[in-house]
Amino acid sequence: MVASLNYLFKRVFYSVFIVIGIIVVTYLLIILSPGDPAARWAGNPRGPGAEKAIEFARVELNLDKPLYLQVILFIYNVLTGNLGVSISTKTPVLTAIWTHMSSTLELLIFAYIIGIPIGVLLGVFSSLRRGSFKGDVLESIGFIVANTPSFWTGMALFLVFSEVLGVSSYGRIDTRLATIMGFKPITGFYLIDTLIQGNIILFFDVLKRLIPPAIVVSLYPIGTGIRVVRVLMSEALSEDYVKQAIALGVSRRTVIWDYAFKGIIPGLTQVMGLSFVYSLVDAMVVEYVFGREGLGSLLVGAVVSNDFKLAVATLIIISSFYIIANTITDIVQAWIDPRVKL
Amino acid sequence: MRIRVPTLMISVVSTVRRVWKRRMRFRIGLIIVSAITLLAVLSPFIVPYPSEGWGLIPLNETNVSGQPPSLAHLFGTDDKGRDLFSRVLLGSSTALLQIVLVVGVSLVIGLTLGVLAAYYKGLVEYSLNYLIEVFLALPAILIAIPLKMAFGPGLHVIIASMVLTWWAWYGRVASVYARSVCEMDYVTIPKLSGLPGYKIVVRHVLRNVSPPVIVQAVTDFGSVLLEASAINFLGFGLPPDYPDWGVIAQNGLYYITKMPWISLIPGFFIMVTALGFSMIGDALRDELDPKLRRRWRLWF
Repeated sequence: MVASLNYLFKRVFYSVFIVIGIIVVTYLLIILSPGDPAARWAGNPRGPGAEKAIEFARVELNLDKPLYLQVILFIYNVLTGNLGVSISTKTPVLTAIWTHMSSTLELLIFAYIIGIPIGVLLGVFSSLRRGSFKGDVLESIGFIVANTPSFWTGMALFLVFSEVLGVSSYGRIDTRLATIMGFKPITGFYLIDTLIQGNIILFFDVLKRLIPPAIVVSLYPIGTGIRVVRVLMSEALSEDYVKQAIALGVSRRTVIWDYAFKGIIPGLTQVMGLSFVYSLVDAMVVEYVFGREGLGSLLVGAVVSNDFKLAVATLIIISSFYIIANTITDIVQAWIDPRVKL
Repeated sequence: MRIRVPTLMISVVSTVRRVWKRRMRFRIGLIIVSAITLLAVLSPFIVPYPSEGWGLIPLNETNVSGQPPSLAHLFGTDDKGRDLFSRVLLGSSTALLQIVLVVGVSLVIGLTLGVLAAYYKGLVEYSLNYLIEVFLALPAILIAIPLKMAFGPGLHVIIASMVLTWWAWYGRVASVYARSVCEMDYVTIPKLSGLPGYKIVVRHVLRNVSPPVIVQAVTDFGSVLLEASAINFLGFGLPPDYPDWGVIAQNGLYYITKMPWISLIPGFFIMVTALGFSMIGDALRDELDPKLRRRWRLWF
């Protein structure tokens, strides 16, 4: 118990250090790029109030102080959640990111709920049929899926849904219907919100618009699932304890699922945790294609309105999200896997 | 005294020849990649409408915008009346340029720092590993945005943002390999006999670490292309009229129901190129990594 707490603290402590490193790197990115950093931080203002805005930004970035103090104050500001007000949305940057992130997370989580079981099942199936035609076809599918740009699949699927099936999958929710029915976002996860408010029509509307992008995002876990499970499972099936189980006459199903598959769960957890984090970028691209409100649309808007503050804040927060997710994955993996010493 | 790992003794040519004979996947991949490279090299000479390919809008714009594929315009024309075939053709050289620059630069940085992190102990090791961890966590797509705002759109943004993240990946791979190489006799014996550190690093460690890391880099060509085109698609890297597959696909996004060819054709090219590179890398890795080479069938 003491040992595992020790590991936990070490891991968390290390990840806090890395988050601080990320903040320092982004601050250097702000300072070292050409031009006046204060003007860029204020959104390159023009007109009568420009001088004042730039002066305000200069104070906010502490540009009159020595560099080491600037960095320390910036770290302090970020860690206390003080990242300023976004220029394009006029709301605190953190609030803007959080409200948009819930939409992205909804898409991601839904996609992984579809994707992981399919990927794992197909991977186990293909590992049992290594070298046969079916196994090769499955492996090739995994290979092709892993090498297709998500925006391309997204656009193709959008076309299929709108032109062939006649279902509009644009946006997150039918806004007109939502206003008529008096829908209010509570958690930001629209699937849950509509259920809480007992609105079945809107629930199916949200689901209808969620499924096509979720299919696109889920292609990545399916592809990695097939490839990773195939490799891990093939190795697990040649382990001695599996051979022994076969020799003892344990049934095929028990050998596959209770012996071999159980052994690969820790490795699988780690890979899926990593791929969940990588899929965040995928989800942003897919959101942009399907016109959903989310991190993708927020960032595209930030680029259009030259919102430097929002861009920097997103960089810091999502990178920290990477680190936190990695840490959680590592801890979960260590907790599942009895061979890893805590 | 020269002792090297077997992978280094096999010259590149003989490896390629051996893999070519044994792997169907390698053959297909090499053919695809050679075709794309040929297209990229020849594109300045065979492109039918060079000025439109580079983003200029033709004079009689309304007459030709949004034409479906025909003989005059093999891939049709885009929303501004430009010949899509020219743009996609020029895009192949942009794609290869991005891949080669990003992987090349990050490979040099990553190999150097990764080997140093493994060879020198103490402060150097800790600080370099820490740097690698930090940069591994930064997603390229998000670095590109502030870089674009500060420097303006262009190739430099996409190259810089991707190098900043990819070097860390090669750094980690290199340091993992280098850690085991540093335990070898051919590193410890020169160290004991007093050869200076930099000579050991260059002559013994780097030479033995590079082949597997380079194979890893070849495997990544496809992912680099996918990531770069995702950044360009969202408009965080190259300017909107640049002949790049991601940018062209983005141009067609708003016309996806009326003129689907604008987006689907460059996307298809990205897919094929990424597949070709990944096939080569996969076959090479399977062939050179003895642990995965095991071929067997399940017996029950």
